[in-house]
Parts: sequence; C-alpha cells; structure tokens
Amino acid sequence: MTQNPAQLSRDDFQKTEAFIRAVRQRVATVVVGQDVVVERLLIALFTGGHILLQGVPGLAKTLLISVLSKSIDLDFARIQFTIDLLPSDILGSEILDQRTNEFRVRKGPIFTNLLLADEINRAAPKVQGALLEAMQERKVTIGNETFRLPAPFLVIATQNPVEQSGTFELPEAQLDRFMLVHRLEYPSPEEEREILIRNSALGVQRQDGGAIVQTEFDVLKKEPVGSTNELVAAMEAVHRVHVSETFVEHVVDLVNRSRVHKSIELGCSPRAGIALIKAARARALMHGRHYTIPEDLFALAEDVMLHRMRLKYEAIAEGVNGKQIVAELLRSLGGGPLEAKHEMARA
Amino acid sequence: MIRRRALLLATVCALLACGLSLRAQEGVLAPQVPAPEIPSVGMPGLIQELVLSGSELEVRPRDPKDPLVLRIARVSPHGSDFRYDLEFVGLEPGTYDLRDGLRRKDGTPIETSAGAPGSLPAIPVEVRSVLQPGIVKPHPPSDLDVPGFGGYRTVLVAAGVLWIAGLLVILLGWRRRRRAEIAEQRPATLAERLRPLVERALAGELSREQRSQLELSLVAYWRRKLDLEHERPAALLGRLREHPEAGPLLSSLEAWLHMPSPPRNIDVTGLLAPYRNLPPDAVPELDLQSPEPPAGNARAAGR
Repeated sequence: MTQNPAQLSRDDFQKTEAFIRAVRQRVATVVVGQDVVVERLLIALFTGGHILLQGVPGLAKTLLISVLSKSIDLDFARIQFTIDLLPSDILGSEILDQRTNEFRVRKGPIFTNLLLADEINRAAPKVQGALLEAMQERKVTIGNETFRLPAPFLVIATQNPVEQSGTFELPEAQLDRFMLVHRLEYPSPEEEREILIRNSALGVQRQDGGAIVQTEFDVLKKEPVGSTNELVAAMEAVHRVHVSETFVEHVVDLVNRSRVHKSIELGCSPRAGIALIKAARARALMHGRHYTIPEDLFALAEDVMLHRMRLKYEAIAEGVNGKQIVAELLRSLGGGPLEAKHEMARA
Repeated sequence: MIRRRALLLATVCALLACGLSLRAQEGVLAPQVPAPEIPSVGMPGLIQELVLSGSELEVRPRDPKDPLVLRIARVSPHGSDFRYDLEFVGLEPGTYDLRDGLRRKDGTPIETSAGAPGSLPAIPVEVRSVLQPGIVKPHPPSDLDVPGFGGYRTVLVAAGVLWIAGLLVILLGWRRRRRAEIAEQRPATLAERLRPLVERALAGELSREQRSQLELSLVAYWRRKLDLEHERPAALLGRLREHPEAGPLLSSLEAWLHMPSPPRNIDVTGLLAPYRNLPPDAVPELDLQSPEPPAGNARAAGR
C-alpha cells in the first residue's frame, strides 16, 4: 500500500497518543460517557471532515463541543439555525462605515475553528447551501473579496431527529459533504447516575451582588491541554497511518455491495470509500495502532455510509431501516465473490 | 235453402269424424315415415314425428363395426305412446331397419309381431351410394406383424421402461464417479483446506481480493460459531477479540495482513490449530479454489 509515504515514527506516535489521551481526559471531566461521540469528533477534527450529530435535545452536544474547543485552544462559535436566518448572518456582509463613507467587510461567525451549527435543518435551504458550500471550499466570498477560512476548520452540525415540523431536510448531495453522521444514544443507567451526581454537586455562584445557579458550562477549565501545533501534528500522523491493500479491498467490497443491495435505491458514492479510509486511519491512531484493521471499518461503517444511501420505497414500507442494511452489508462481507452478488441484483 | 246447406255440411262432418274414429280404433298408427330423399353414405337422414307405441325407446349401444349410426334427436309423449325424431347416418349403402338399433328404456323386450300391444313396426331406411358402380375399393390394411408377447402397446411400455432404466443407470454411475473424484480432491479438514491458502498468501501469491475474502470469511465463521449474528457490527470484532480462541487467531491474522511490516515468522500450524478438527466446508464463504494469478491485480493497478 502506498498511502503512507513516510512511516509514522515511534516518537510522533507517542506524542500524538499523549495528546489524544489528554484531550479525552479533559472532555471526560465535564461530559459523562459519550466516548464514541468524542472519538467521532476527534476523527472529524484530525481528518478535516465535518460531522453531523443527530440526537434529541439534552444529550450534551453543545457542552461537548465547547469543552473540546477549550481543550485544544481553538476558536469556537455557535449558530442557532432558525427559519429567518440569512446567509449573510453566517458568512458576513459588507457594511457602510459612515465615518469613512466606505464599505467595510464584517466577517460572520463562520470564521472560526470549530463551528457548531445547531439544528441545521431549521434554516432555509439557501442558508444551508451557503454553509455547506463554505464547508466544501473552505473559503467565503463577501462582496468582491474572497476570504479563506481559518485552519483547522470543522463544522459540527446538529439535527433533532424527532421534531420535523418547520424543518428543511438536508438533501443527499448536501449530507454527502458531512464525512460522518453520528446518531447519539441515551446514556447508560450508570452514566446517567453519574450525570445526576455531578450535576447535584454544582453549587451557586455569586455574581454582581447576586447569584446564579452553576451549570456545567461554568465549570469548564479555561486552560487548554493541547495546542494547535499538537493538533496539526496529530493530523499529519493520521495521514501516515498504514492502510493495507487488504483493507482497501474490504472498503471497495463494502461500498460496492451497497450499490447492488436489493433494498438500496442509491448506493454509496466513492466519497464514502474515501471517508471510510480517512476515518479508519484516525480511529486506528486513537486506538494506539499505526495501521488500520477491519474493526475500524466495522465501527465506522454506519456513521460514514448510512447518510449516503437511499433506501427503496418498498424496503421502507416493509419497516427495514438503514442501520439494519449496513449491518447486513457488513455481515455479507467475505460471503462469496462480488460478481455473484451483481448477478443476483440484476436478476 | 240455407237450412238444407247446413244439413249437408253437418252430414259431411259426421262422416269424417266416423272415418277418423275408425282409423284410431286400429290401435297403432302406421309409421308416418315421410318420403324423404334417400341420404347418401355419410350424410344424415332424418325421420320426424314418428309415433311408436309402448314405453319410451332409446338407442342401443353401438358396435363400432355397425354400418349405421342411429340417434334419437327428439322425443315427446304422445298419449300413452311417444313421438320421436330419429336421425341416422349410414356408413355403407343398403337398406336397414332402424328398429334393430332401438330398445326399451325400461328393459322390456320389443314385441315385433304385428297387432300385439306395444309392438314395434319395422322402420326401413335406405342409404344410397354416390359412387358409380364398378369402382374398385382399396384393399383393407393388413394387420401388422406385432411381436409375440402382449401386442404393440406392451412393446411400447417395455421399451420406455428400458430406456428410462438405462438413463438412470448412466446418471447414477456418473454421479457416483463424480462423488468419488470430489472425495479424492477434497481435503479432510478445514485446516488442510486453509493451509495452502495461507502459505500462498505468505508467499504473496494470493490476490488482494482473495486475501480480503480469506480474512472476512474467518470473521464470518467465528461470528457464527460464537452466536454473534445479532451483535452490533461496531462491537462485533471487539467481542471476537475477547474470545480466548478466536482473539489471538484474528489478531495474528490482522497483524499479518494489515501491518506495514508484518511479522516474518508466522506459525502457520498454530494459526490453523483451531480448524484442525473441522470439516472442510465449515466456512462456506471460503471459495478460493481457483485463484487468480498475481497479475490479476491489474484491475487494482489500473485505478
């Protein structure tokens, strides 16, 4: 495999491991559980992809992203998407400076390292389009001027899967721009118990002669545990993780099977394969390996592939869901030559 | 004048009525056979409104060799008797008595002597030939010489049975030979089947597709064996890794297939130990018997 032009040195590997461990420990001081979400956020950060989190309100999405940004000393901005939001509210606009009588550019909140696009499906399609275009091109044009977005730049969007009234569903082409779509689950009973104990321990904070009840946001430590340089080093390390020919073959097989499955109308694009390899590299590094293994593929397949597939109407009517299909695709791996599957699909 | 004419008319009517009553007292009306034109061979002839005394008649079952075909086209009651429409088709020219083809429905014999109650008169019909006299008829076909036992049909059945039996013998023989060949070629255990594959993979002779299939087939085997079919895919390989038998095996396979510089000393015997007592088809997904040459990587190289 030639994806790793330079081997990852032991020193770099250990430094990156230490950086990842420190960030995870810092996040764990505030957020209980959610290890998989933290892992996915770091994968997105290390690979320059964007991530969409789907989950009901109250699962600490915003807190998680705040603590992550503070852990690595990154700029953080949050936009609550609403129906009346305009593209200029995100990207920025030209305003007339009455003192100089000239137009001056006012950059929008998109000029940050970590952007939390809260409830992205509540904004009109033109706003979604403007954000997603900026995500892809990593630059923004305001008036006649084009500005590059800061590096690193990561969009973490959220979407509430249950409340669909007054929302604009993201089309497949735009969903495809998110490298990962992770579906958050409720915490386990043990985690929930720990959340309640920690929350009960929060006190009242005196402020301006009065007092406010503290929240988790008030106890976030300001000092970062990692620098941007360490983040860049980790990003470079991810690109040096070895990907074997066999692993590439697993990915090709999996993506191809999504295109011939009887319940899938629209299979995964090649971008899914690219994202799988990128994400698998980052996950391997986070699990202390300098090479990818099938476990990375199995762990990431749902988050990478599910939003890139469209099920057939008949399958949906029969109550089949995308998670079941991805599980079936993974189970079918290694089950006979692909050509036979093609023949079956044609029949 | 008018009175005399009415008297004359009444006398004529009385005479007619007497004549009719005398006719009726004769017991049986003579068959009212119309005088139709004589039908030719093969053409139907019809006798209508024929009143025959006695109980209802029906057509006798016909002998295939009978030269006349008779059918009762219609029957209706006529006082204590019945009125018939008879249709007949002559197969040979000649004169026939339709009475010969009839019988009583109630099974009583037909009385033929004239004057007896319920007696049936003769119903003569004629069938003419349209052929000119003197035309020589073709000779009737001679009987075939059928082999001695049982006739032609039996011979056919016997031949069919023999043909099917021969086919079965050929098919079963071929199947037995094929089984014997496969049994000779098939390795005795899964380990024996895997060993050449692993050794070829170590020597770099397996294509990337085959290496991929080898690894994932073994994952599928352990998934089934440990009853993890319904485990979440994300957690599946973690669970397999925890298993004392599957874990080390899959880990060494991963190291060998995925590490940038795999360990050189692979203990193939140890790697295949768990498969030593398994039947060769324990992993049905494993179908690498016809390996592509290493040049088969051309597809990948072309990417």
